[in-house]
Amino acid sequence: MMDTERIFRALADPTRRAVFERLAAGEMSVGDLKAGFDVSQPAVSQHLAALRKAGLVSERREGRNVFYRITPEGLAPLANWMQRYRDFWPERVERLKTVLKEMEQ
Amino acid sequence: MNERSQQDEITVECTVPDAPEKVWRALTVPELLAAWLLPNDIRPEEGARFSLDGAPGEGGSVECEVLEIEPQRLIRYSWRDKGTARDGLETTVSFRVLPTADGGTRLRIVHEARVLVRKAVGQRLMACNSNVTPTMKMAA
Repeated sequence: MMDTERIFRALADPTRRAVFERLAAGEMSVGDLKAGFDVSQPAVSQHLAALRKAGLVSERREGRNVFYRITPEGLAPLANWMQRYRDFWPERVERLKTVLKEMEQ
Repeated sequence: MNERSQQDEITVECTVPDAPEKVWRALTVPELLAAWLLPNDIRPEEGARFSLDGAPGEGGSVECEVLEIEPQRLIRYSWRDKGTARDGLETTVSFRVLPTADGGTRLRIVHEARVLVRKAVGQRLMACNSNVTPTMKMAA
């Protein structure tokens, strides 16, 4: 249960989601990520740390530079399924309650 | 990535004033099940294959097979749609019907998903195959 919950929590913050979406374009350094983005470098680093912890982003060191990229298997496949069914079942159970009321004993 | 869990579940529970036999019918009679879940041709027998029409977020059918059944108490079936097939997931849904002290029913629905094929592994295998094929052709 915890795994996909952690992913959803990691992406609940709009800035963090924006960082993640920028990385979807390709591998970037913190500097690249910060460009044209109204967020401080420490804040970007903090979001990257949270994304790494959730398994959504990985880092690669090259000399003094660190590059970040999204982990393609981080979101899929369990999160796809969770997104499709997490609201489906509670909604259907509400419908079941209505059907039971209308059914004969 | 190794430490990340490869399965997950969605659990929904509810208590209704209706008798367990009535709830069981709502789970296993096609027209009643269709009224709240999805159009279907369910047969409550172990090994029976049936489908539900209209997978959420994907459309198309959900292919099911009854894996376990205890009349009036439990039905569990596999649940496969376009999305789960694409993502390499095996999922099952179980419906457990429990009588309550006051003649009502507690229903527990658990949808479990397990990763069968890692996407990354699948992609690597594909890459291997594409390297192998030209060599084989040259050898032939």
